[in-house]
Amino acid sequence: MVRAPERLTEAAPARTAAPGTAELRTAERPAAAEQARARYPRTTGYIERDGVRVFYEVYGSGEPTVLLLPTWSIIHSRHWKLQIPDLARRQRVIAFDGRGNGRSDRPTESAAYDEREFALDALAVMDATQTPKAVIVGLSLGGVRGLLLAAEHPERVVGAVFICPVYRGGGEPLAERAPYSWEDELDTDEGWAKYNKHAWRRDYGSFLEFFFGRMFNEPHSTKPIEDCIGWGLETTAETLVTAQYASLPTPEEARALAGRVRCPVLVIQGSRDEIVSASRGIALAEHTHGRLALLEGSGHGPHVRDPIKVNLILRDFLHRVGGPR
Amino acid sequence: MQDGRARVAETSGRVERPDGIGIAYEVFGSGDPTLVLIPSAPIVHSRQWKGQVPYLSRRNRVITYDGRGNGRSDRPAEGAAYTDREMVDDLVAVMDATETRRAVLIGLCIDGVWRAIQLAAEQPGRVLGIVAFAVGVPLLAPRHPWWGAFSFEDELPTDEGWAKVNRHYWRRDYAGFARFFFTEITSEPHSTKQIDDAVEWALEGSVDAMVADAEAPNGRDLAAIEGVCRAVRCPMLIVHGTEDTCQPIARAHRLSELTGAPVVVVEGADHMIPGRHPVKANLLIREFVDGIAGGAA
Repeated sequence: MVRAPERLTEAAPARTAAPGTAELRTAERPAAAEQARARYPRTTGYIERDGVRVFYEVYGSGEPTVLLLPTWSIIHSRHWKLQIPDLARRQRVIAFDGRGNGRSDRPTESAAYDEREFALDALAVMDATQTPKAVIVGLSLGGVRGLLLAAEHPERVVGAVFICPVYRGGGEPLAERAPYSWEDELDTDEGWAKYNKHAWRRDYGSFLEFFFGRMFNEPHSTKPIEDCIGWGLETTAETLVTAQYASLPTPEEARALAGRVRCPVLVIQGSRDEIVSASRGIALAEHTHGRLALLEGSGHGPHVRDPIKVNLILRDFLHRVGGPR
Repeated sequence: MQDGRARVAETSGRVERPDGIGIAYEVFGSGDPTLVLIPSAPIVHSRQWKGQVPYLSRRNRVITYDGRGNGRSDRPAEGAAYTDREMVDDLVAVMDATETRRAVLIGLCIDGVWRAIQLAAEQPGRVLGIVAFAVGVPLLAPRHPWWGAFSFEDELPTDEGWAKVNRHYWRRDYAGFARFFFTEITSEPHSTKQIDDAVEWALEGSVDAMVADAEAPNGRDLAAIEGVCRAVRCPMLIVHGTEDTCQPIARAHRLSELTGAPVVVVEGADHMIPGRHPVKANLLIREFVDGIAGGAA
């Protein structure tokens, strides 16, 4: 049984004005009292596509704009909290909550979570913020969205950064995950058997603890684990089940997308990634002719767990694509 | 020992005390006033200040040293080597060796705070100010009950909990004591790194030194200690956590009464404020130092 972080029991903070139906929908779920931030956004807003509202934030100024993409809806944009204050000192930074978590809506149709919908959300956020082009940065599943954007909308993407990306176009799946079906009832809840529709519905908190423990497998990771469990509790098992049926590029499609990318690419990959095999990120760097920063001993969230190292690597890449020193 | 540091020392050295004990020190950065970070020895060594040195030394000259019994300093094994007198004189010796006429003294617990106060009372001309974290001035208020719950001297029937503060247990399993102790006094969530670091520094020390330190013949009495506190004339800032498991906050308030120094009460903080709350500690030090520098100018 997971213990909700204390802040979840506190009074909900004043929300950003969100009139209309979205507010009614969001009002039904418990809003977490947010931790103090090192930096607050300059502006915030919503875009709406097919009745789904997506919340974004804009920080700082300076070119090129950095667009921080959402990852799996199990967490929301606060996982970038250690990048935003650093990047926004020198350039404009946009982050948005992926549909399914944070202040964005939780559509109940699986098709609304197709990878292309997330990519289109990104373009809509860029349009709404008058951002013709940006450097895109994605974590894990965010890498799939990033790949779609870089391959299919090259005129909007100055450079692409993939952190521990989901990439089925190369590399190998993680061996320990392979034996367990997500769809079928299993006879165990141990280990990766928790990555299972029925296990999520039975005990979502236990899955969150397991998953984020694997994500941050470095010593001294209690804070990132607790943060992510808290963000995970801002959505529901049912929302993640719905999103799980959305369509993902096939291995062949992913490989073809990678071959179409022409912008500068950086892959930041933890060598001890226990969520997505490091071989995936290594393959993506090869297939996009990108630069690979392999972080020895890092897990699946190096930007959270080793923020200074990752921020300096990001800064260097951003400078190469036209950003300030 | 320099590997992986955010900032390495510009100079380092070693001063030999009349009793033959060598004390190792390091000097970082430049700028007045000099700040001396006093070690909590012999249980840990100068790396306890690693969260402060890189920040403070951007604008000030910063001196750290390993107290006798740990780090690169010698490890005498007799109680007489660990008296308050010797500890204060180590501080003076390091200031002399680094040609530091006056400094702001920064310390934690008894090893840091009490020695800083003694020097400020004895040689006011050498102490510009004191930042006193987790005030450990002996006797100023009753210690926490767990400290006295078990005999330090006797063989005990148990090793559980605070029974680990026991000379026989230390010799059986000093690592077990260090792990227990630093876990107890660093009770905030997300403290595993600070605990691991402190245990590692403790294990670089010596159980003989720890036993000797516990045997040091100090003959402290409350009236004399209060007299020393009252004699302090320099500016002082007291910083104490509401959850301090090592030193009761009543000692901070009593020190404040005796000296007139303000107390910053850190809500929810346990004993290791500079290690566990480095940004808060650093900003408090910075503000205090800037205030002194402004006043002196």
